[in-house]
Amino acid sequence: MRPASFGYHKATDLAHALALLAEFGDDGRPLAGGQSLVPMMNLRLARPAHLVDINALPLTAIERRGDVLHVGALVRHHRYLSDPLIAAHFPAFLEAVHWIGHPTIRNHGSIGGSISHADPTAELPAICLLYDATIIASSTGGDRRIAARDFFLGAYVTALQPGEMVTAVEFPIPPAKSTGAFIELGERRGDFAIASVGVALQWSGRQITGAAVVCCGARLVPIRASEVENLLIGRQLDAPDAAAIGRRFANTIEPVSDHSGSSAYRKHLIGELTRRTIERACQQALETA
Amino acid sequence: MKADSPKHIGARIQRFEDVRLLSGAARYIDDIRLPGMLHCTFARAHTAHGTILEIDTSGLADLDYPTWVFTGKDTAGLSMKAHQDYPEMQYSEQPLLAEGKVRFVGEAVAAVLAEDAYKSEDAAEQLFIDCDPLPVVGTMAQARDASLPPLFDGWHSNVIVQRQMKGGDLEAAKAAAAHIIKRTYRNQRQAGVPMEGRGVVAHYNNADRVLTVWSSTQMPHLVRTYISEELDLPESRIRVVAPDVGGGFGVKGQVFGDEVLIAWLAMKTGRPVKWIEDRREHLIASIHARDHEHTLEAYVSADGRLLGLKADISVDNGAYSTYPFTSAGEPGMVGKVLPGPYDFQAYEATFRALATNKCSIGTYRGVARPSAVFSQERLMDDIAAELGLDPFEFRLKNIIREFPYKNVLGFTYDPGSYAESLELMQTLLADDVAAAKASHASDTTRVGVGIACFIEQTAHGTPDFTRRRTPIETGYIAARVEMAPDGTVTIDLGLQNHGQGLETTMAQVAADALGVLPSSVYVRHGDTLTTPYSVGTWGSRGGALGGGAVHVASLKIAEKLKAIAAHLMQTTPDEIELADGQAYMRSAEDRFIPISKLARAALRNVDQLPPGMLPGLEAEQRQDGPRDGTYANAVHAAVVEIDVPTGKMQLKRFVVVEDCGTILNPLVVDGQVRGGVVQGIGSAMFEHFVYDEECQPLTTSFADYLMPLAPEIPNIEVHHFETPTPLTPLGAKGLGEGGAIGPAAAIGNAVANALGVEVRETPLNANAIWHLSAHLRPAE
Ligand SMILES: Cc1cc2nc3c(=O)[nH]c(=O)nc-3n(C[C@H](O)[C@H](O)[C@H](O)COP(=O)(O)OP(=O)(O)OC[C@H]3O[C@@H](n4cnc5c(N)ncnc54)[C@H](O)[C@@H]3O)c2cc1C
Repeated sequence: MRPASFGYHKATDLAHALALLAEFGDDGRPLAGGQSLVPMMNLRLARPAHLVDINALPLTAIERRGDVLHVGALVRHHRYLSDPLIAAHFPAFLEAVHWIGHPTIRNHGSIGGSISHADPTAELPAICLLYDATIIASSTGGDRRIAARDFFLGAYVTALQPGEMVTAVEFPIPPAKSTGAFIELGERRGDFAIASVGVALQWSGRQITGAAVVCCGARLVPIRASEVENLLIGRQLDAPDAAAIGRRFANTIEPVSDHSGSSAYRKHLIGELTRRTIERACQQALETA
Repeated sequence: MKADSPKHIGARIQRFEDVRLLSGAARYIDDIRLPGMLHCTFARAHTAHGTILEIDTSGLADLDYPTWVFTGKDTAGLSMKAHQDYPEMQYSEQPLLAEGKVRFVGEAVAAVLAEDAYKSEDAAEQLFIDCDPLPVVGTMAQARDASLPPLFDGWHSNVIVQRQMKGGDLEAAKAAAAHIIKRTYRNQRQAGVPMEGRGVVAHYNNADRVLTVWSSTQMPHLVRTYISEELDLPESRIRVVAPDVGGGFGVKGQVFGDEVLIAWLAMKTGRPVKWIEDRREHLIASIHARDHEHTLEAYVSADGRLLGLKADISVDNGAYSTYPFTSAGEPGMVGKVLPGPYDFQAYEATFRALATNKCSIGTYRGVARPSAVFSQERLMDDIAAELGLDPFEFRLKNIIREFPYKNVLGFTYDPGSYAESLELMQTLLADDVAAAKASHASDTTRVGVGIACFIEQTAHGTPDFTRRRTPIETGYIAARVEMAPDGTVTIDLGLQNHGQGLETTMAQVAADALGVLPSSVYVRHGDTLTTPYSVGTWGSRGGALGGGAVHVASLKIAEKLKAIAAHLMQTTPDEIELADGQAYMRSAEDRFIPISKLARAALRNVDQLPPGMLPGLEAEQRQDGPRDGTYANAVHAAVVEIDVPTGKMQLKRFVVVEDCGTILNPLVVDGQVRGGVVQGIGSAMFEHFVYDEECQPLTTSFADYLMPLAPEIPNIEVHHFETPTPLTPLGAKGLGEGGAIGPAAAIGNAVANALGVEVRETPLNANAIWHLSAHLRPAE
């Protein structure tokens, strides 16, 4: 369990990193927290010829820029837990972070790494999809803005091109009061999920004016529940009809089946977790009404 | 002071070895680095079953560093031979490197050596193993399917061995039965997973012709014997050292082909050779455990008395027979232990081991008994449910209460606290039982309580192995005790300490016998150069037999110390008592001589010895186990809470009531029990080694092979009874494995209780629980 031999290059600034990535093309990979890349290299499932260490780059801001929350690619997962903007506007994001691995993983792992790695059960890709984030992919040729729904193409496959790296993720700040929840089911605390569901609701008084639902674990990429999201809009705080909506969402999905969970189980779980997240998001709205 | 000075045996002494282990000073196999050392990486089979057409090593020529490669052609004829001398058992050998065929994914096909481990790993990747696939025997059903070809030439089928055990009149029991209850239970395949994997370093010294082998093993002397026989070397010129071993759990309680091979490579290349197993290799290619299916048929009287039991036992053995316990060991053990703690006198068990294209089954903490007790105790609850009896009452009605008790197979149980343990547990759980009952009103949150009542035959002696006809052959444990001229003590122990606390408990035992402090006793182990021949640490024998050996050997030295003291104080030896580092005169407590002075007399100022007494203070004892072993007993209980809609189960409480006879050190006993329970929880809820239909392993890292982790484990409460056995010198029974034996059964019963269903198999993960609770969900 040792990596195949590779070259290591420490990038001093963004221009340097992009130049190195351009030079190496398909043979180069950014190294961020290393929490996914290094295990993959040890198992020789990944064998990049060149690692471009981007840890010295100043891509570490979480800040409001106009209507969006700007999150630098190197923001480590633990930072969200104490960030007031995340708590105020993206409660499902905040909840999701609690489910990512263990403290050491959250101290090292970065958002750029998590979404570029694109594990089908990872939380942050689902959160990007839930909050309609835009991913900024940079290269020596300039920046590309990629909508989250166009970014995740398959398990461990994204829209990034050779020579490109994520520099930031932008989350549009909800215009109205926003509540949300993220619930996950795994065998053990910190495990990758068998299935998880996130919900974000926007409110006008006691009425839902905007809704997003996402689930991961069911398929090779996170899934938005566009069909049922519309059903939530206009509903009242105390009558979201969450169970029916959960069932309906589940019925649109044909989940994978493997030794950690049958398809039928995952399907049921998605329905149940959808119900619970909606009810929790409504409860939050009630408490802050 | 002396008469009431505190005993060291039974004291809560913190483990001496922890200073080394917790401060990073311990030295494990990978810490051994020798000049000129070569590193070995195995090229392993990717095909589960196939004929090797070619091993293409030409890629090595392109490398810009030297490599050495060896295949089965080089080691032809060298193999692991693990045969139980039963006429029904089909013979097989596991070549050190595959010859002709591969029989499971992960089997070592070639050894590639280079000057560092990165290079040998890169080099091993250059090999191309061309295999012509053969039909895969992947399940127990396929192994019993006569149309599939046997794994070995000359075999008549893939049933490696099938035998019967019986006692009493089963037909009569059946005829007398008011209820006949038949069930099939299944335990999944597991890996063993100590924190430190295995590893071997070997070095042959040409000058004195001594081969030294360091191995992360539980049984250094057996490794020595096997290497000597297989490589035809004098055993006196082989030294096997087990350095600090980071957990064994039975996985390291067998001799592996790689231990022989690395020794052979060191001799062949003339350089030290090192191989350190990585986690993937450990998971796919060391040994696996469990993987049982039992069909039990119980005959029960109208008033709830067990009259007889019929059992059919199958174990999916994987490809090869492991040394020294063999593939007959695992199923045979189930047949032997199923009668358990209950009083009935008619029994018949048919047991078999089946060959499949998987990693071989070996010994892992509990050895067969976690599976046997799962079946036995699930059956007890299933019978109780069918008869409408309370699980405690039903067990208490059938529990053995009079000792010694001769069981249906002729094994004699020494005294224990079976009924008392059940009764105590009943009291401890009263509130949980009530809560479980109340939760049945809910279809979303259910609470369940489950118990497992069992006995464990421990401290097996030579007669037990003679009966089994395994290559282990012998059951004694040896200790050599020596006092130095300054009065400090060395114990050279035939056991190997890899977490059992032996460096502390053995010092406590010697300290009491010799009247010295435990801290003045140095316990050495794990090196065949210094320790007397023994079979190593496994089978819950260390405390009972190792402790016995140390006690008896120490008493021999104490006798001599007393004789010297008596001579110097002009009294008789029976007037002398050894305590607190002094030899006191019983009748005049103000008269004493320091033990160090006696030791000095025995070894240096020998002119002070009584006339005719020879110098020296050392003694050796080989302590064998009793004919039928000694039986420890325990009751485990689990309280679970299940979130029915998601199948998520939380373990709320885990309680153990156990009796291991004399307790040498309560801290060590509790630690052993808790560690075992955690592993049992792993069996019950998480761990599952999965193969697909082509026998490709799917759970080859810790991302997929789920070990129990701290957040899932509740506080484990441990309560004790202490019924010393008359069969070992200190009254101690074995306890190392017991913790792992009960949890699968207790948790299985708790789930059954919570959901009101019968639980037939493990692991009880979220998916399984969800499928078991279908009846509680509204139809969708
Ligand atoms: C035991 C364990 C448990 C874990 N549990 C979870 C969990 O429950 N949920 C979860 O989501 N994750 C989990 N992880 C993964 C963790 O969150 C990782 O940190 C994350 O997936 C990757 O982030 P990283 O910064 O470590 O990326 P790295 O490992 O450094 O890189 C991952 C991949 O992304 C690429 N990359 C990195 N940065 C960029 C960039 N800026 N632009 C383009 N490509 C980039 C790398 O080249 C590589 O291909 C776990 C990891 C471990 C070891």
